[in-house]
Amino acid sequence: MKTIEWGLLIVNYLFLGGLSAGLFFVSALATYLRNREDTKDSRIARLGALMAPWPVMLGCLLLVFDLGHWYRAYKLYLHFRWMSPMSIGSWLLVAFTLVSLLYCFAWLEEPQRNQLFAFVPTRLNFLHTFNSDLSRYRRQLAAIGFPISIGVGIYTGVLLGAVQSRPFWNTNLVAQLFLFSALSTGSAALIIALLWGRKTIEFEEIRLLYTLDICFLTLEFFVVLPYIIHGKLSVQAVQDSLKLILGGPFTLVFWVFFLGLGLLVPLAIETWEVLPTLWSKASVHFNKVWAATAALLVLMGGFLLRYIFVYAGQMSAFK
Amino acid sequence: MSTHSKRYALVIDSKKCIDCKACVVACRAENGVPLTKSRNWINEEHRGTWPKLLAAFEPEQCHHCADPACVRVCPTGASYQRADGVVVIDDVQCIGCRYCVIACPYDARFFREDRGVVEKCDLCARRIDRGDMPACVETCPSKVRVFGDLNDPDGKLTELLEKREYRVKKPEAGTGPQIYYLI
Amino acid sequence: MNRRRFLKFSAGGAAGAAALATSAAYFAPFQKKQAIASGLQEIPTTCEMCVNKCSVIAVVNNGVIQKLNPNPENPRSRGMVCARGNAGLQEVYDSARLKRPLIRVGARGEGKWRPATWDEAFDFAAQKLSAVKEKFGPQGSLWSSSESFQEVFFQNLGLSFGSPNTVRHATLCLASVNLAYSATFGTVPSFDLLNSKYIIMSGANRLESFITPDTMDLVGSTTDRKARLIYLDPRFTVTASKADEWYPIKPGTDLAFILAMLNVIVGENRYDKEFVATYTTGFEQLADHIKQYTPEWAEKETEIPAKDIARVAREFSDAAPRAVYYAGRRSSWYQNDFQMRRAQAILNAIVGNWDRQGGMVPNAHVELGEYLFLPWDDPAAPRVDELDKNFPLAAKGDGAYLKLRENVLAGTPYPVKAWMIHKQDPMNALPDQAKTIRMLGQMDFVGVIDIQMSDTAWYADVVFPESSYLERQDPVGVLPGIWPVVVYRQPVIKPIHDTKTTLEIVQGLAKRLNLSQYFDYTIDQWVDAQVKTLPLDIPLEHLKKHGTYFPSGFPKYGTTLTPDHRFVTKSGKIELFSERLQETNYEPLPVYHPPAQPTAGKFRLILGRKAYFTHANTTNNPWLNSFAPENRLWLHPSSAQSVGVADGDRVEVTSSAGSIRIKVAVKQEIRPDCAFMLHGFGKRSKWQRLVADVGASDAQLLETSWDKVSGNAALHETFVKVVRV
Repeated sequence: MKTIEWGLLIVNYLFLGGLSAGLFFVSALATYLRNREDTKDSRIARLGALMAPWPVMLGCLLLVFDLGHWYRAYKLYLHFRWMSPMSIGSWLLVAFTLVSLLYCFAWLEEPQRNQLFAFVPTRLNFLHTFNSDLSRYRRQLAAIGFPISIGVGIYTGVLLGAVQSRPFWNTNLVAQLFLFSALSTGSAALIIALLWGRKTIEFEEIRLLYTLDICFLTLEFFVVLPYIIHGKLSVQAVQDSLKLILGGPFTLVFWVFFLGLGLLVPLAIETWEVLPTLWSKASVHFNKVWAATAALLVLMGGFLLRYIFVYAGQMSAFK
Repeated sequence: MSTHSKRYALVIDSKKCIDCKACVVACRAENGVPLTKSRNWINEEHRGTWPKLLAAFEPEQCHHCADPACVRVCPTGASYQRADGVVVIDDVQCIGCRYCVIACPYDARFFREDRGVVEKCDLCARRIDRGDMPACVETCPSKVRVFGDLNDPDGKLTELLEKREYRVKKPEAGTGPQIYYLI
Repeated sequence: MNRRRFLKFSAGGAAGAAALATSAAYFAPFQKKQAIASGLQEIPTTCEMCVNKCSVIAVVNNGVIQKLNPNPENPRSRGMVCARGNAGLQEVYDSARLKRPLIRVGARGEGKWRPATWDEAFDFAAQKLSAVKEKFGPQGSLWSSSESFQEVFFQNLGLSFGSPNTVRHATLCLASVNLAYSATFGTVPSFDLLNSKYIIMSGANRLESFITPDTMDLVGSTTDRKARLIYLDPRFTVTASKADEWYPIKPGTDLAFILAMLNVIVGENRYDKEFVATYTTGFEQLADHIKQYTPEWAEKETEIPAKDIARVAREFSDAAPRAVYYAGRRSSWYQNDFQMRRAQAILNAIVGNWDRQGGMVPNAHVELGEYLFLPWDDPAAPRVDELDKNFPLAAKGDGAYLKLRENVLAGTPYPVKAWMIHKQDPMNALPDQAKTIRMLGQMDFVGVIDIQMSDTAWYADVVFPESSYLERQDPVGVLPGIWPVVVYRQPVIKPIHDTKTTLEIVQGLAKRLNLSQYFDYTIDQWVDAQVKTLPLDIPLEHLKKHGTYFPSGFPKYGTTLTPDHRFVTKSGKIELFSERLQETNYEPLPVYHPPAQPTAGKFRLILGRKAYFTHANTTNNPWLNSFAPENRLWLHPSSAQSVGVADGDRVEVTSSAGSIRIKVAVKQEIRPDCAFMLHGFGKRSKWQRLVADVGASDAQLLETSWDKVSGNAALHETFVKVVRV
């Protein structure tokens, strides 16, 4: 009985998990890339750190409500099953959420911390001992969280790719595809966050994000291509499963909305934006509308990638 | 009394299947399967143009694979394989994530909305443990299915698989299916 | 474990595969199982989801039936329970079951009821019946019933009431085949498909339409035992798909095929000369008669190539006596049905397959005792269907249903104004539903005994809810045949609603009709009297524990193959030429009359069954309905094109009897000159929730037509026009 078991809740969860991983990754990277002597905090690192924990927590909430028994979710943590990507993933998610929360906390400034602890009821006064400045541990937390964020980003793809019965999924390239897509959504989200902020955007900030995003999108593109080429050169079942995007229900959404609008168009916009920096010390073009458009398209592309893979994968099967 | 470990499996002689659905209803009654779902089913094939026609029927259910993908992907160990090869679900441990449903190459599993857990053929574990046949095997008018122990050198399955040609379905999925279809 | 694909022929493997199944070997796999888990009861009883009466074991937990398992002790159920047998518990626990007596308050067929007490229902019915009796005599009442273990009580009520008019299902079913074999052999034999090597079937779609021992044996014979199956059917059915050869014969021409086989077998001296000389009479007339029916002639009639007819005839006679031309169950097809079945009987006779392993075997019986009740006077009036005049050879108690309906509608020879119906659904079982509605309409009283609100019950004045087969004890039954068995139905649970058994209902009515003296016994007394002749220590205990009794020593072959054996025919021999038929002005040898064919633009409506539906009775069972939730009109792609419809389009189908609207199923699997639809849909009774106004009822289209000799309904003589709507 062929059914679609995983629907939009799972698509959203995979997207949000990847988004958090990308946010953390970019934030951690920005933390590292700073000169030790630079006393001014990196705004990208801070924004990334402040944003990173929330999408994944919302995603996990969706995941739990997708279960047949939401209250049985705790059972995931009574077992560790190394052969089950979902088991590995659920442990990873917990680790990532904890580290990213700590990391987020480490990026809070004192007034913000005090504001937060003002919510603690007086009965629980002992909690105030936790109101301490962790900012000196930012680099260490970034270092711990860095591999975990990659793990979370890649896990969402492994979850699908490790299913041998679904030819559409059953390649390691899905893991890479999901990772690069996750990272690109993270940097795109930060572009939007920067645009949202009232402060003026510095040249170095936007150049870093553009560069990272171009890098991730290019990597993603060069995983999509081999995914299709490998698939076409693979066994019959995989070739057949590719018909879902090469002449099937997902052709339009894959080629036009994901690959075109969600990947190549923002790649082109961002490349055009940074183009002047290649030839001179000139600044990026920096057009706010273009930047926002590109970033939103990248987020859409990331979402559609997960949508296409979750649905098409479940429809693919051995004959 | 031999002391070998048991390996339960089914041999199916599809040529004998007349699509009468007795197995489907017997399973529904035995296992309380809701009307919109089924633990076993009959694949149909109709080909040709009048009057050169073909119709073929092939019962199917969980293949109780040697290397079951469903068991591997289960995050809580709710899906597990018994020592006798029967793949079963502990519905107290099942959290209803449906990863196994997706992982089964045979689409033999389904999610029960009313109970929030995944369900599938367990070869009527309750029945076979007390020495009965699975309901589908027992009820079949034309005795399409043969149930038994593959490891029993004198068993019906061993005899059939030595004498007859057979195939398994989707071996390329790599799960080592244990329903043997006689050709 | 290395399970590479390989083929290993053990020494003599081919011969081993061809070894004939003996009954002992065949039933060996069905061993008695171990005791079931504690807390559960296992109660053997007898299925009533169709007429085959398989033995089942009910698993009961705290008064709730959980499962019906096969009972391997009854060889006649072959260790199986079919789909509908398994769905039996749904019948008990169906929320739309009849739960208490109902008395109609609206117009007939309007579906307005008021619940009544049993006393009220009995009083009401008895008063109406008495009024009819007073005005029109007892013959003014009609008592119709279908075959079941308690039918005898119902019939006896009608007879003791003084009515000659009992009518049973036979003439909607197999009257023609029964009569044809009786006319030839003096009895109706069984076919030993378990051991046959060559089987020819005309239309009897035994692998799809009905699951009985013959079905299972046929599967085993054609696969494990390498028998050949030759199958004729205008549809490509499941049976056709399993047959070695399938011929989409032109409908209604089976007789031509059989006559041509006779022509070849007699003409080429392939018949069993010794058998013919010793046991038959009339061979000379037969030989002369069939000279005209050459395979070349038959090819033109049947559209089956002459060379194939001749070859099949030769192969058939070569395989004899392990060869049968199978008679089939439902034989209500054409107006020449009796003669077609008789030709089969003659063909079987001359190849000498009578009473031989793999051939036809006269039914063995198990003798039961009888409860001696007070006899009543025979009804004074003649039957309303004037059976003696119209069908002098037909079985008296069965009646001729369609002729009966014609006479009742015409009021000849006398008016019939009360109709009591026991577990029968004439609304769907009889062709031409409009006539049945008219017949119901002209009744002063209609009473129905059933477990569900059938279409007929929907038109009744009072409905008596019967306890289901799992809630009641029935008289012990004998299934005669190659493996004669006794089967026993005991209650596995108490009635869950305010229902009664047929005997209790009959007694309730009898009391008020002053007929109590004829029904002054209990079901226990009746059963005790029946079982006391069984060669068992405590017969009833045995039946309660095992549900069935299978005497040893069966099957027996050749008991009638002694030269001094007298067949129950006029001549005492097997009658190839029948003087009895000649005396009654019927053709003494089967003569071919070409059937009418549909005119351009029309299709012959042909019928068939799915084994998960018992007539029109189980289409509303949710477990079974799920396999075919709606019926459609099958049309061949070329027919669909000519009508201008595609798969799924709605059409109006019209015959002289009426018209229906139904969706089309475009199928390769049907002859272009035919249309087909499944039975039991388009119900009028709203209580048949799943099939009320879903699909359509074939009964609304079928025209009134019957076989001249047996009075059996001819259900394949209707031509329909199909128009897109």
